[in-house]
Amino acid sequence: MIFMRELKRSRKSLIIWSLVLAGLIIWLLSIFPQFAEGQKSMNDLFEAYPESMKQMFGMDRINLGTLIGFYGIEIYMMTTLLGTIYSALLASNILAKEENEKTIEFLLSKPVSRGRIVLEKLLAVVVNIVILNIVSTISSLIGFQFTKDADVPGKTFALLIIATLLLHLTFAAISFMLSSLMRKTRNTLSASLAIVIVTYFLNVMSGLSEDLDVLKYFSPFKYVDAANIINENMLEPIFIVLMAAIIIFSIFTAFMVYRKKTLPFNWSCGAKQ
Amino acid sequence: MAIVELRNLTKSYRKNRGIIDVSFSIEEGEVFGFIGPNGAGKSTTIRTLLNFIYPTSGSATIFGKNIIKHSQEIRQNIGYLPSEIHYYDDMKVVDLLKYSARFHKKFSAERMKELASRLDLDVNRKIEDLSFGNRKKVGIVQALLHEPKLIILDEPTSGLDPLIQNHFFDLLKEERDNGATIFFSSHILSEVQKMCDRVAIIKDGKLVTVETIEHLTKNKVKNITLTLEHPEQLHFELNGMIKKEVNGNAVTLLYSGDIKALLKRLNDLPVQDVLIEEPTLEEVFMHYYE
Repeated sequence: MIFMRELKRSRKSLIIWSLVLAGLIIWLLSIFPQFAEGQKSMNDLFEAYPESMKQMFGMDRINLGTLIGFYGIEIYMMTTLLGTIYSALLASNILAKEENEKTIEFLLSKPVSRGRIVLEKLLAVVVNIVILNIVSTISSLIGFQFTKDADVPGKTFALLIIATLLLHLTFAAISFMLSSLMRKTRNTLSASLAIVIVTYFLNVMSGLSEDLDVLKYFSPFKYVDAANIINENMLEPIFIVLMAAIIIFSIFTAFMVYRKKTLPFNWSCGAKQ
Repeated sequence: MAIVELRNLTKSYRKNRGIIDVSFSIEEGEVFGFIGPNGAGKSTTIRTLLNFIYPTSGSATIFGKNIIKHSQEIRQNIGYLPSEIHYYDDMKVVDLLKYSARFHKKFSAERMKELASRLDLDVNRKIEDLSFGNRKKVGIVQALLHEPKLIILDEPTSGLDPLIQNHFFDLLKEERDNGATIFFSSHILSEVQKMCDRVAIIKDGKLVTVETIEHLTKNKVKNITLTLEHPEQLHFELNGMIKKEVNGNAVTLLYSGDIKALLKRLNDLPVQDVLIEEPTLEEVFMHYYE
């Protein structure tokens, strides 16, 4: 019941995000043929880029002239970053919103356990994210049709899709945990977005030099680095384990915290009207 | 059988007063008032009973079941109206009511329509557009819709106009006649008197007493304000006079004696104005426990 309610409530924002993401993907892929034609001059242009900038975006390791390379740089950045922001926003809101709007008193008075509330809301988050990923995958497949001969290696593409989904779920899990810990949606929202931005920045930094290489462990974006996946044609097991660990830990914490939480907080202050 | 039973229920907060050693029981089919000033611990007691918060010590049962272990089962048969109503702004009234009743696996469109029409509530409006009083009505329908065995009402009448209040009291009487038990929390003595069989009085987190309404109303205390030319010359002695205060032209009396005797006495006085009103709860308490 809570699950259906959450799906309904988040439907509008899911549709908007899906449309935006699908539009961006298809539009970007539609310009790829021209892009590939001008490959020669493009390569010269990229040559002129500072080395550090190319490293930042992995351009030194991916050939932008191939469709999968183009996908890995341009579109993958959209799907990972935008999708992550969507996932973080969605998950950070979902538990804390009941407290923020004080509707939690209604929900708790119903014959439903707190664990059940967390579970159904979590499921709603997962389903929303999966739908967004299906939409972006289908949009990519549609977009590939613009390119007549350029072929995409199926396995690599599938790996990139799985990596994106895993990344979204990782950030959703972190935000979900924050949502269980905090009480004001504006706090959870800012904290979640801060984590997304900081880890994205770390990801960019870690590509810059050997000294900063250790940073890669602190950024889930690096776990799903496009250049690595395309070149190795695999997801690194260590990073899969790390993401799984983050997800499990966050969700476990969310359940434990929520079961013991004083809800809503203002009751303990005796605040009334 | 006791529907609700509290045994030395205590909830303490780090900084604020909670409730201390509260014990009483509510019998099946009873309308039980719970009265005390704001901040006395009424809502804390209710929230502990519903297991929103955990008691520090003591225990309680509802329908003979432990409030912590069997909370979910208990809530299946409870209708709860919180003192502050907060619902999902994006929903229509009808959506909220359906959502609520489905948790209890008991939704009847007919009953919803009937309850809503008796309280003069339009179920097709969006909740965010509703006034405070209309939200309260949604809360009332929400609490009664699934025909709960125990109805817990926390300050139910605030925001309702008198006409709707009467309809609301009629609805409660019908529920009681159908076998429901009602736990009615309020800080207004008169509405508890109107409705309840017995009353628990709580103050500063402690249960003061549990009384039948009859016993409470035997000591009818009235606040009387007289306006006179020369109040200081007034000699006004009657049985049942508790307190007398002179304030400019006004004399304030707290009186618990016979009303007829009072009126007779007033008849002989050169009064310009008379005001007889319910005393505040504080005044009742002060008098009642002297």
